[in-house]
Amino acid sequence: MLDPRWVLVVVAAATAFGSLSPVVAARKLYYFASSLPHAALLAAVLGYPLAAELGGDPAVWALAVGVPLSYIVVYLVERGVEEDVATAVFVSFSVASSVAAIYYVLTRYSVGTSLWSLIIGDPLLASWRDAWWAAGVAAGVAGAALLFYREQVVIGVDRDFAATAGLRVVLYDYLVVTALAVAAIGLLKAVGFVVEHVFILLPSAAAVNVSRNSGEALAASILSSLFAGLAGLILGVYLDVAPSAAIGFVLLGVYLASLGVREK
Amino acid sequence: MHGKPHVKVEDLTIAYRGEYVFNGDGFEVEGPGLVTVIGPNGAGKTTLFRAIMGLVKPLRGRVYVNGEDVTGSPGRAGRHIGYVPQLAHVYRGFPLTGRELVELSLRLRGRPPRLHVPRGVRERAERYLRAVGAERFADRPVSRLSGGQLQRILIARALARETPILVMDEPLSAIDPRGKEGIARIIEETARDKLVFVSSHDPIMFLHRSKYLMVVNRGIKGFGSPEKTFRLELLRHAYGGSVYMIEKCIHVFER
Ligand SMILES: Nc1ncnc2c1ncn2[C@@H]1O[C@H](COP(=O)(O)OP(=O)(O)OP(=O)(O)O)[C@@H](O)[C@H]1O
Ligand SMILES: [Mg+2]
Repeated sequence: MLDPRWVLVVVAAATAFGSLSPVVAARKLYYFASSLPHAALLAAVLGYPLAAELGGDPAVWALAVGVPLSYIVVYLVERGVEEDVATAVFVSFSVASSVAAIYYVLTRYSVGTSLWSLIIGDPLLASWRDAWWAAGVAAGVAGAALLFYREQVVIGVDRDFAATAGLRVVLYDYLVVTALAVAAIGLLKAVGFVVEHVFILLPSAAAVNVSRNSGEALAASILSSLFAGLAGLILGVYLDVAPSAAIGFVLLGVYLASLGVREK
Repeated sequence: MHGKPHVKVEDLTIAYRGEYVFNGDGFEVEGPGLVTVIGPNGAGKTTLFRAIMGLVKPLRGRVYVNGEDVTGSPGRAGRHIGYVPQLAHVYRGFPLTGRELVELSLRLRGRPPRLHVPRGVRERAERYLRAVGAERFADRPVSRLSGGQLQRILIARALARETPILVMDEPLSAIDPRGKEGIARIIEETARDKLVFVSSHDPIMFLHRSKYLMVVNRGIKGFGSPEKTFRLELLRHAYGGSVYMIEKCIHVFER
C-alpha cells in the first residue's frame, strides 16, 4: 500500500521541480541549477549545528543560510562576471564547504542517519511533519514559478528587450534564484541530493522536445515530472528499490521517449 | 507624447577594459526620419544603440530622449523607444511562437501578475504581425523560423509597442535580397512619422531613404545629411583601406 505521506512528498517535489524546470530551460540556467543541490547540501548540513546551538528548526536554518548563499551568483553576474564562471566559483565554494561541514557535523553531532537521507533521499521515511513541510515549500515555489513564468521566458529569449519593455530584470534574477534555492534546499530531504539534479533538469529537457509554445512546455514539464514521481514511487515500493533512484530512471525514460517524438 | 521625436547624446564615453569605444561623442537628431548608422565590425554601432536604450551605463555623458534623461535606464528609454536587437542576441532554444513573443512583450509594463492575454493585446499583436507580413509563420516556434522570418517578428514586436522612436540593430542581416527590399520598405514607411535608427553593413539599402547618416568607428566619425556625409575620404578613414564595396555604393548613390 502507498502511504499518503509518501504520495504527498512526491507530488509536492514533482510539482515544484516540474514548474521550475522550464524556467531553468528558458533562462539557460542548467549549469547553475545543477550546482544548487551542492549548496543545498551545505545549507542542510549546517542547519543541524545551528539548530542545536541556537535553537529552532534545522530545515529553517538551512533556508536561512542557503538562499543568501545562492545570491552570490547573481551578485557576481551583476558585477560583470560570466554566468558560468560565477557558477563555477559558487559550486567550488559549496562543494569544499559542504565536505568540511559534513566532516565537522559528523564528528560532533549525532545526525548520521539524517545526513544519509539528504544524500540518497527517501520519501518513504517522511513523517507527517516532513510531508507538510514539503507541500508548503512546493506550494510557494510552484506558485512563484507559475505566476512569473511568462516574464522569465521573455527575459530568457531577449534580456535587453525585456528591460526596455518595462521589466525590472534584476528582480526576476533574484526571484528565479530564490525559487530554485528554496526548492533545492527545502525538498532535499524528500528527493535527495543526487536525484534532485535529475528532477531540476530533465522535465523541461523532455518538454522542450515535444512543445511548440511556452504553455505546452510548462504543461509537459509538470506532467512528466508528476508521472515520473508517482511511477517511480510505485516502482520503488513494489520492486523494493530506492524510490528516488526509480524516479530518476523513469524521468530518463521520459526524456528518451521525448527524443523519439521530436524525431517525427 | 507631444512634439517631435528627439534624441540627444552628450559627451558619450564608454570603455571596455580600458579601451574606449566612445570618448566624449555626441549628436542630436529630431524626427521623423531615418538615421542610418554605418561602420565596420566592432565599430561600436551596437554599443551606441544600447547606450541610447539605457542598456549600457556610460562612464560619462548623458542621453536625452524626448527631453527625458534616460541614461542607464532601459525602463525609461523604452517608454519612448522600441528596440530591435541584433538577431544573434535572441535565444531561440526554448519553445515559443512568434505570436507569443509579440503578445508577451506587450504586457510587460504595469503590475504583475500577467496571466492572461487581453483581447486588445491580441488584436494589436495581430495587426503588427500582418503589417510586416509575418502572419503566415507567426504561430511557428521561433526555433523553426528562418533568420529573415524571425527578423520580421522582432520588427513587429518593436512596432507593436507604438513608440515614437525605434532603434533597429542590423535589421537586414540574415535576409535575402528580395526580403531586404521588403523590410527596408517597412522601415522607410515607419520613418515617415517616427524617428528610426538603423545600423547596417548594407548602406545601399538605406542611403536614399535616410535623413541622416552617421559613420561610427570607435567614436562618431561623421554625422549629417547622407549627401554631405557619404564621402570617400571619410569612409576610408572609418573603414580603413577596405572601401571597395563602399565605392560601389557611392556610384549607386550618385546616380
Ligand atoms: N559587453 C562587452 N564587454 C566587452 N567588450 C565589449 C562589450 N560590448 C562591446 N564590446 C566591445 O566594444 C566594441 C564595439 O562593439 P559593438 O558590438 O558595439 O560593435 P558593432 O559596431 O555593433 O559591430 P558589429 O558590426 O560586429 O555588430 C567591440 O570591440 C567589442 O568587443
Ligand atoms: Mg553590432
